[in-house]
Amino acid sequence: MTAPRGPQPFPGQEKRLRLLAFVRQDSVVRVDKRVEDTAMVWPHLLVIEFIAAMLWSIGLFAISAAFNAPLQDHANPDCTPNPSKAPWYLLNLQELLLHMDKGLAGVVVPTIWLVFMAAIPYIDRSREGVGIWFTSRNGLRITIFAAFYATLLTFSLILVDAFLKAHGYIEFASDHFPGGKQLLPNYLIPIAVMLGLSFLLVVIVKRLYGANTREWNIAVFTGFISVYLVLTIVGTSFRGPGMDLFAPWAVPATHQCFEPRT
Amino acid sequence: MLEIPAQIWQKTKTSYIWRSLFRHGYPDSRKNQSLAVFTNVFLHLHPVKVRRHALAIPYTWCMGGLSFFLFLILTLTGTLLMFYYHPSVDGVYNAYGDIKDLETVVVFGQLLRNMHRWAAHGMVITVFLHMIRVFYTGSYKPPREFNWVIGTLLFFFTILLSYTGYLLPWDQLAFWAVTVGYEIARASPFIGDEFAFVLFGGYQLGPNALLRWYVLHVVGLPLTVGFLIAIHFWRIRKDGGITGPL
Repeated sequence: MTAPRGPQPFPGQEKRLRLLAFVRQDSVVRVDKRVEDTAMVWPHLLVIEFIAAMLWSIGLFAISAAFNAPLQDHANPDCTPNPSKAPWYLLNLQELLLHMDKGLAGVVVPTIWLVFMAAIPYIDRSREGVGIWFTSRNGLRITIFAAFYATLLTFSLILVDAFLKAHGYIEFASDHFPGGKQLLPNYLIPIAVMLGLSFLLVVIVKRLYGANTREWNIAVFTGFISVYLVLTIVGTSFRGPGMDLFAPWAVPATHQCFEPRT
Repeated sequence: MLEIPAQIWQKTKTSYIWRSLFRHGYPDSRKNQSLAVFTNVFLHLHPVKVRRHALAIPYTWCMGGLSFFLFLILTLTGTLLMFYYHPSVDGVYNAYGDIKDLETVVVFGQLLRNMHRWAAHGMVITVFLHMIRVFYTGSYKPPREFNWVIGTLLFFFTILLSYTGYLLPWDQLAFWAVTVGYEIARASPFIGDEFAFVLFGGYQLGPNALLRWYVLHVVGLPLTVGFLIAIHFWRIRKDGGITGPL
């Protein structure tokens, strides 16, 4: 005679239930959901995952077969390419470096940016609009407005900076500004501009669109993302030798070995 | 004619060894489909059932999953690349020479390197897009607050992984791109020089920097990212899967 498989209940305890897990109502897919709202992971989700993985594998093979990863000459500390650029995903920071103090642009601003990003769920604690793109039509309008606001302002600021520098701004600041070119142009003015324009954006969306917490967070996030993209694009495609501004189709080739003037 | 393979298949499926490997029948019934997911170590990250809207590609863009997929590809191609790579700036076996060998000597070496390179760029993009999707769908809201924090860390570490890898070919592109980072690190307020010294192993970009970034790239950062991914996925499950309208 074969014994039934699995652990056997003790005599008299055949109907004993076990507590498997403690589950909060809001954190788990509800048990009383209707059957038609759910799909079996095998096969429905796994098929999607499999197809996505296959398409990306094929795409990656195709790209890798068509385009070779760049490889230049052996590294030479005595030979500076002009311009020397970071990889594209860091060119946003390198672009920012041109407009303010290095430590501010390269370390302080990105750190504050990351901390703010991480803090978003602790600022906007409402559960409104979970799972809905842009929360509402108003959210979408705010997203579009903030994207235009930040894109236009960032491009303008880059142009204004280029214009001022072309007209002797640095020399003028060194001679006439308190603290020379360091205090105001490298620290206080950029900080004031970054903070001021961010606050202005929040004020505008509150006034114009009656934004609540979620919505002004959308505005600030969209603004950040837009600035990030604009800086990346300008740093990648608009900067040539000397990190000067060029039209993307007229950027001169990089000077591979720049002899520093002594 | 087909009876023999059918019999072999039947014998295999009922054999002792097969049943020790697979603890369920072919997943064509609800019961076996459930068992297939939760008795499999690779699939058990999934629940047995998901809400239908979680399958909608316009909602998720698949970007989180594809980021993980690229991470796996990068781990695989990266491990293969490690067989051919010496983190050294000169000598008979040096980093630059190894990359040249990959391009000219190693069979499929160029393809391997290309795949690693483009997947790395791709992962920066997919992680970024994933973050955008999560933000605009409000998926950071309770109870997922802390998972969003882990996500921002993962974004940061993805960039760091990509950047540390950028130095390894030790060509002009790598050297001067990382010089930009070196200058930024040195400009950090208060601890600039010390920070740069720890990160680059010296006061200029040289053999120590290459070795440090290599170790970070192949051990330190992947382990960190793997650890964070594990928490990230675990919390997604515990918080009820992909978000959807309440």
